[in-house]
Amino acid sequence: MKSKRMFVFIAVSIAALIFLFPLYVALLMALKSAKQTFESFYALPPSLDLANFVHAWDTSKFPTAFLNSVIVTTISVALILIVSALSGYAIARGNKPLYSFFFLLFLSGMMVPFQVTMLPLYQLGKSLGLLNNHWGMMLIYGGFGVQSGVLFFTGFVRGISREIEEAARIDGCSTPGIFVRIIMPLLKPVTATVLVLNALYIWNDFLLPLLYLQKKEYRTIPLQQYFFFGQYSSDLNLAFAYAVMGLIPIIIFFLFMQRFIVKGIAAGAIKG
Amino acid sequence: MVNLRRTIRREMWYILFLVPGVLLFTFAVIVPFATGIRYSFTNWDGISRKLTYIGWDNYVNALQDPDLWTVLGNTFKYAIMLTLLVNAISLLFALLLDSYLPLRNLFRTIFFLPSVISVVLAGFIWSYNYSQGFPRLLSYLGLDMTSPLGNPDHALIGLVIIAVWQGVGAPMIIYIAGLQGIPSELTESARIDGAGPFRVFRSVTLPLLAPSVTINMLLVLTGSLKVFDLVLVTTNGGPGFATEVIATFIYKNAFNSYKAGYGMALSLIFFVILVIVTVVQVSIFRKREVEM
Repeated sequence: MKSKRMFVFIAVSIAALIFLFPLYVALLMALKSAKQTFESFYALPPSLDLANFVHAWDTSKFPTAFLNSVIVTTISVALILIVSALSGYAIARGNKPLYSFFFLLFLSGMMVPFQVTMLPLYQLGKSLGLLNNHWGMMLIYGGFGVQSGVLFFTGFVRGISREIEEAARIDGCSTPGIFVRIIMPLLKPVTATVLVLNALYIWNDFLLPLLYLQKKEYRTIPLQQYFFFGQYSSDLNLAFAYAVMGLIPIIIFFLFMQRFIVKGIAAGAIKG
Repeated sequence: MVNLRRTIRREMWYILFLVPGVLLFTFAVIVPFATGIRYSFTNWDGISRKLTYIGWDNYVNALQDPDLWTVLGNTFKYAIMLTLLVNAISLLFALLLDSYLPLRNLFRTIFFLPSVISVVLAGFIWSYNYSQGFPRLLSYLGLDMTSPLGNPDHALIGLVIIAVWQGVGAPMIIYIAGLQGIPSELTESARIDGAGPFRVFRSVTLPLLAPSVTINMLLVLTGSLKVFDLVLVTTNGGPGFATEVIATFIYKNAFNSYKAGYGMALSLIFFVILVIVTVVQVSIFRKREVEM
């Protein structure tokens, strides 16, 4: 029995090494010069040299792209959270056919693939002056995120007992007051779920920035990476330094939020 | 009377609460969807201001377009391979990591890690590994390897491998959550009755895991039918037409070939296919859940 467990442990370790291998190669590339890579591909660099990172930082406008990603992700996610919490609460408590209709409407929206709305969204953005800035993207991410967000919040609010609310109402509390004072503090777990799932998606999204952002100064990290690789395909060590720089923030976010990400995905599976 | 007034006031607030969500949704989904349907009946090029309605011509042409069938073939080949592989591997990982394995949290983190990377980065990292990293490693073993992405026969499989690497994290977590919901008395009593581990898995664990299987199959299948970024950044549909999928095909028609009306017709055909796949799949799996 013990040897069997040992066998499983070794097998899983090998699988884990296979999973890490592509990242290891990327990291090696970022830390070595072209000459060092040529001499010995897999060896660790003789000394820790961050020259590629410094160079990539200088040539790529990384801070701009990073800031753009932070702005777009933060505001979009905040929008999604506020709007879906409000809608989800209304749908859960309204209890009228009207609200079921909207619930189904949000649900059916999730069936529409992005390709169907891609070209019209581009046209819409163009005619409303939303190309080459972040506003249009935030609104669109908001519209996408609110679909699943409403699903999560409605489900969660339905699980909250109505009695506390009724008591507050008798004491003279209005609906907005109940929402702010009673419901909002209770929403923390589901808020974390919706937050991490949308943050990961928006941070990594490539399609909408590709469509909406032509100007360099507005590019988010994935889009900037895409162009940077094309531009520096002959200097791969530099390109990889840039790649690894783009990896660091999202991995830090992941490690901090891991608990919520795991919970969110598990909850999403049950609700969806 | 007071009660009625209070109810009306309450309902008014609920309606107000719903307004921003409905507005955002209308802006991002309903309006574009409706205009998309309209464009699909025109021969619009995507630039000019004039729209000429041509009825169902785009749809008729699309269904007669041999390229569409090739592209759909590629898309389904990719999606089916990916769905089966991701589910098999993530279920295996979940089973192994649900048991008492040392460092299992570390392993879960490692298997999930590729999922948090942007597809652009994953594509970039893997293109390089395919062309340099793996061939060098295999040359130590005396094996020759060229990048599958450059070979029309292997390019699609090359993409599937990248997508598996990126895709097992979330289904694995869903399977782990599903496994933790199975009462251990059931598997234990089966074991006491003399069932081996494989028999326990097949007769007890798997049937009870059916809801997780349904959701994972559905999520991976619909997700992989929509594959876009991975193809665009690694092969751009090539070599030849080997990895052209429906999403990139629509994109190129709508934006690069100035056939916006045609592209929209294609995307609505794609939408119908997605709806059919989803409905069929859910009904099959739900039925199976009940039977077991």
